[in-house]
Amino acid sequence: MQWRGAVAGLFALLAACGPAAAFDRAAIAGWSCAGASGMTEAANALIFGVASASKEDAAWAAALAGAALDRTLKCGGAAPAIETPQGPVDAVTLQPGAAGDGSAPLLSLKNRPLFETARAAATLFVGATPGERSAALGALERRAASLPTDIFERAADAETDAGLKERILGAGQAALLNSPDMTKRVAAIERIAATPDRRALTRIAALKADPAYGKDPAFKAAVDAGVGSIERWLAVSNALNALYNGLSFASILFMASAGLAIIFGLMGVINLAQGEFIMLGAYVTYAVQEAMRAIAPGALDWYLIVAIPVVFAVTAGIGVALEATLVRRLYTRPLMTLLATWAVSLLIVNLVRVAVGTQNLQFVTPSYITGGRLVMGDFIVTWNRLFAIVFAAVTLGLTWFVLKRTPLGLNIRAVTQNRAMAGCVGIATRRVDMMAFGLGSGLAGLAGLALCPIYSVNPQMGSNFIVDSFMVVVLGGVGTLAGAVIASLGVGQINVLIEPLYGAVAAKVIVLLMIIVFLQFRPEGLYAVKGRRK
Amino acid sequence: MTAAIGPKRSLIARATDDRIVAGVALALAATAAALLAGGLSGYRVNTIGQFACFALLALALDLIWGYAGILSLGHGLFFAIGGYVVGMHLLEQSVAVTGITPDIVQFMGWTALPGWWAPLESFPVALAAALASSFAVAFAFGWASFRSRVSGVYFAIITQALVYVAMLLMFRNDTGFGGNNGMTGFQVVFGLPIQDPAVTKGLALASVLALLAALVGCRLLMIGRFGRLLVATRDDEVRLRSLGYETLRLKLAVWCLSAVLAALAGLLYVPQVGIINPRLLSPELSIEIAVWCAIGGRGRLAGAIIGAVLVNAIKFALSASLPELWPFVLSGLVIVVALIFPNGLLDLGRWRPTLWSRADALQPTDATP
Amino acid sequence: MTVAVLVEGLTVEFGSFRAIDDLSLAVDYGEVRAVIGPNGAGKTTLLDVISGVSRAKSGRVLFDEKIDLTRASEAAIARSGVRRKFQKPSVFEALSVRDNVEIGLGGARGADAGDRVAAMLETVGLADDADRLAGDLAHGQKQWLEIAMVVVSEPKVLMLDEPVAGLTDEETERTSALVRRLRTPGRAIVVVEHDMNFVETIADRVTVLHEGRTLFEGSMARARADARVVDVYLGR
Repeated sequence: MQWRGAVAGLFALLAACGPAAAFDRAAIAGWSCAGASGMTEAANALIFGVASASKEDAAWAAALAGAALDRTLKCGGAAPAIETPQGPVDAVTLQPGAAGDGSAPLLSLKNRPLFETARAAATLFVGATPGERSAALGALERRAASLPTDIFERAADAETDAGLKERILGAGQAALLNSPDMTKRVAAIERIAATPDRRALTRIAALKADPAYGKDPAFKAAVDAGVGSIERWLAVSNALNALYNGLSFASILFMASAGLAIIFGLMGVINLAQGEFIMLGAYVTYAVQEAMRAIAPGALDWYLIVAIPVVFAVTAGIGVALEATLVRRLYTRPLMTLLATWAVSLLIVNLVRVAVGTQNLQFVTPSYITGGRLVMGDFIVTWNRLFAIVFAAVTLGLTWFVLKRTPLGLNIRAVTQNRAMAGCVGIATRRVDMMAFGLGSGLAGLAGLALCPIYSVNPQMGSNFIVDSFMVVVLGGVGTLAGAVIASLGVGQINVLIEPLYGAVAAKVIVLLMIIVFLQFRPEGLYAVKGRRK
Repeated sequence: MTAAIGPKRSLIARATDDRIVAGVALALAATAAALLAGGLSGYRVNTIGQFACFALLALALDLIWGYAGILSLGHGLFFAIGGYVVGMHLLEQSVAVTGITPDIVQFMGWTALPGWWAPLESFPVALAAALASSFAVAFAFGWASFRSRVSGVYFAIITQALVYVAMLLMFRNDTGFGGNNGMTGFQVVFGLPIQDPAVTKGLALASVLALLAALVGCRLLMIGRFGRLLVATRDDEVRLRSLGYETLRLKLAVWCLSAVLAALAGLLYVPQVGIINPRLLSPELSIEIAVWCAIGGRGRLAGAIIGAVLVNAIKFALSASLPELWPFVLSGLVIVVALIFPNGLLDLGRWRPTLWSRADALQPTDATP
Repeated sequence: MTVAVLVEGLTVEFGSFRAIDDLSLAVDYGEVRAVIGPNGAGKTTLLDVISGVSRAKSGRVLFDEKIDLTRASEAAIARSGVRRKFQKPSVFEALSVRDNVEIGLGGARGADAGDRVAAMLETVGLADDADRLAGDLAHGQKQWLEIAMVVVSEPKVLMLDEPVAGLTDEETERTSALVRRLRTPGRAIVVVEHDMNFVETIADRVTVLHEGRTLFEGSMARARADARVVDVYLGR
C-alpha cells in the first residue's frame, strides 16, 4: 500500500498547486490500458485529481471511468478509444475519429471499486442533475475514508443545490472525522466546531463512543473542547433566538399597547376591545389577500403591503365610531367604560365567529418574508419576524411624528395634560378624543396585520394579547410612547426569556408579580408625569 | 339600624333603597320557605341554589365596587378558591365513604389523593381553609395594590391579569389541582349521596340563607359608619386621608370581606354543579360578575342580587334553546345599561328618554384613574 | 412660645420643574398667616407638603417643633392636628351634610360627638341643611361645609386653600368673619388666597411666594408698599 500513499502525496501536491492543475490525460488513458496495476494507478490519478480539475477534465474523468466500468474502453489500437453510440472517440480528447478496435481491459475485483469511486467523484462535480450528484455522493460516502480530504469541500463549493451542498459538507466532515490519521481527525473536529450548530454537536458528541476517545488523550481533549465550544455557541445562539423572538413579540405588543396608552392618558379609559381591534386588523388583511387573489392574482405577494392603509383606515374608522357612539358618553365613568368596551369586544368576536367561522385563517406567506438567514449556530433571522419588527419600528417613528410634529399630536398632548385648559384655549377636546381613539384603534389593527405571518389568526386571538398589553400600559405609564416602548420590550422579552426555562405560564406569573412589585416603587408606571393632584 | 349618628336618615333615595332591600330580603325568605315546603322539581331547586350563589358573588363585588369604588375584574379568583377547596373536601369525603378512587387520581397519574388534602375531609376545616386562603390572597394582593395607591382602571386591569394568570396556572397539570379537567365525580356530601334530593335541597337552602344573611348583614354594615367611610373613600380618598383616616385599612377591610364572601359563594356553588375546573377563572366570567352588578344597579346590594338573578335567568333560558344568541344578548344588555341606565335597571322607574345625558351627568363618577 | 409650623430649606420638584426652592418659613400659634403670590409660585404645593400629599425632595417641615411632617403619612399628619381645606371644594357629595362633619371628627369621637357636630353646623350656618346631601349644596355652602369638616376636630394647624374663590361678596364677608372666629391662641391658621381684600381683613402677616421662594414677609400694608411684591404680583 506504499504506492497509494506515494501517489496520494504526489497528487495532493499537484492539487495544492492550484485549481488549474490539469490531468495528464494521455498518461492516465495509457495507464488504463496497461494491465491491472496500471489501471489502479489510473483510477487513483482520477480520484485524487478530480477535485482540482477543470470542469472539462472532470467531465472527461467521468467519461473515462465510466468507459472502463462499462467495458466501452478499447485498448489495442494506436491510442485508447471509447466506444459511443455515435462511434468511437479518442479516449484522451473525446473527439471522434479514433479507431474503435481493440478489446476492453479486464477490470479486476480490486480495480472495479476504484473506478466506481473515480466515476462517482467526477460525477459529483459534473453530474447534470442534483439527483445524479446525490447518487454519486451516496457512493462516495461509503468510501469516504480513502478519498482526498478536499474533494467534498470543493464539490460543496461548486454545488448549487442548497440541500445537497449541506449533505456534501457533512459527508466531508464525516470522512475526516473517521480518517485513520489522528491529526486529521483532530483538525476535522476543530473545523466542525467552528460552525456550531446542533448537527455538529451530535456529530462530535458521537465520537465519545469512539474507541479512540478512551485511548488517545489528545483526541479526547479535542472532542471535549469541540463539544464545549459548540455548546457555548449554541447557548449564545439560543439566547439570540429568544431575544429575537422576544423582540418580534414586543413589536406586536407595542403596536397593541401604544394605542391603549395614548387613549388612557388622554381619556382615562381602557379599551377592553383593543384585542379585538388586533383581530379585526388581521381579518381585514385576510380580506385584502382574498380580494387580490380574485382581482390581481399576479400581485398576490404584495397583499401585506397593500393591506396597510386599508387595515389602518378600517380599524381606525371602527374605533372612531366606537368612540362617538359609546365611549364619549361614558367619559366620566371609566369603570363603566371597561364593561361597555368589553361588551363591544364580545360583540365583535361573536359577529366574526358567525360571519367568518372559528377556524384559523390561512395566509399566503409572501416570498419576501419567507425563510430567513442563518446568522450563527441555531440563530436564524426569519424574515417574517423581521417584518414585524421593522413594521413596528416604522409605526413607532410615524406615531412619534404624529404626536410631536402635527397639530393633532399637539392637541392630544395638550388635552392629555390639562383637558379643561385645552378646552378653554379652543381645542375641540371631543374631536381630539375621537381622533386619538381612531389612531389607537388603527395601531391595534396594524398590530393584527404584522402578526398575520407569525401567529395564528382566529376570532379568539385578541385575548392572547390583551392581558399583556394591559401590563405594558401599567408598567409604562400612561400617555407616553417611550413608556410603551420600554415596557413592551420588557414584557415581551421577559415572557420569551422565561418561557423556555420555566414555561409560558410561569412567564406570565413572573411578569405579573414583577409588575405588582414594580408598582410598589413606581405606582404611576415608568414614565409618569408627576404633578400635584388638586 | 345601628346608625347611632344621624337619626333623621329619612332621605328619599335611601328610603327607596331600603324598600328594595326589604323586598329582596322578603323574596329570599319566601324562596327559602318554598324550598322547605318542597314540591319543586330537583332541577328547579338546583337552579335556585346556583342563582343564590351567583347573587352572593355579585353582592360581594357590589360591596367593593358600589361602595368603595374599587372594581375588581378578577373576583372569579376568590369564587374559585372556595370552589377548589370544597372540591378537595368532597373528593376526600367521597373516598373516605365509598372507597372509590376518583378520576382525578387517574388522570393526574397519582396513586391516591395528595396527603396534604387529608385534613380537608372535615367540613369545618375545609370551610376555614377556604375562607382563610381567600382572605390571605386578598390581603396580600390588596395590601400591595392599595399601599401603592393603585386604583380605578389600573386596579381593575391588574385584577383581570391576576385571574388570567391564575387560570393559566390551574390549567397546568403540575399545579396539582386536576389541570384542565379540574375536579369532578363527587359522590358524597355530608355523608349523603350527592344525588339525594335532600342534598340538592339542603345546598340550595343553605345558599339562599347565606345570601339572605349576607344581604342583611352587609346592608347594616353599609348604612353604618363603615359604609359611610367607604362611600367617602370612593368619592374623595385624598380628602378622607387628610381628615386622618387610613383609607388603606378601610379598603383592605372591605376588599377582604368581599373576597371571603366570594369564596363562600364558590364553596356553596361547586357541590351543586358537581365540578370545578379552571374555566371558572376565565376573565370573561369575572367581568360578567361586574356586569350583573352594573345591570342590577351598584351600591345598593339588592341591585346586585336582582342583576345576577336576571342575567343568569336569561342565560339559562337561552342556553337551552339558542346558546349562540347569548353573547349578543349579553353585550346588548351591557351597552344599553351603560348608555341609558347608569345606575342599573333599578333606574327603570326614574328613566325619562330626554334626560339620559343628564342622568349621566348626575351619576357619581365611579373613580378617578 | 413654640412655633406651630417650621419649614426649613424645603425643596419640591415635579420632574425637572422646581415648585419650591429652598423655602424656609415659620408660622406661630395664634397667628393667621396668608400665603400669597402669583400662579405657580408654589403656594398650594407648600400646603401639599405640609399635609403630606406631596413629598419633599429635601428639607423638613416641623409641626409643634417635634413632628417632622415630611416623613408622616397624610392620615397621621391629620390625626396629629394639622388639617387642610382643599382648593377645589372637597366634600363627600353622596353623604349628608351631617355625615360629612361627623366624618371630620375622625377617631376623636366622644359622647358629645353629636353636640359638637351640631355646634359646628351652627357655626358655619348649615344647621338647617344637616340632612341634605352634600352634593346638593351651593358652592359657597360647600366651602363652609368643608371648613366645618376640618375645623370640627379642633386642629392646631388649619390650612385653608382659597376659601373664598368663587364666592359672592356677601359670602366672602361671612367667610372672613368665620376665619376670625376660628382664630384662637392655640391654633395657627394658614390661608392661601388671591382675594387681597379678604387677606387684608383676616391676616396678621403675609408671606409672598415667587417661583418657589419667599419674596416678602410682613404685614399686608407693607406688602402693598413693597416694590418687588407690586412688581411680580399685586401690580400697579
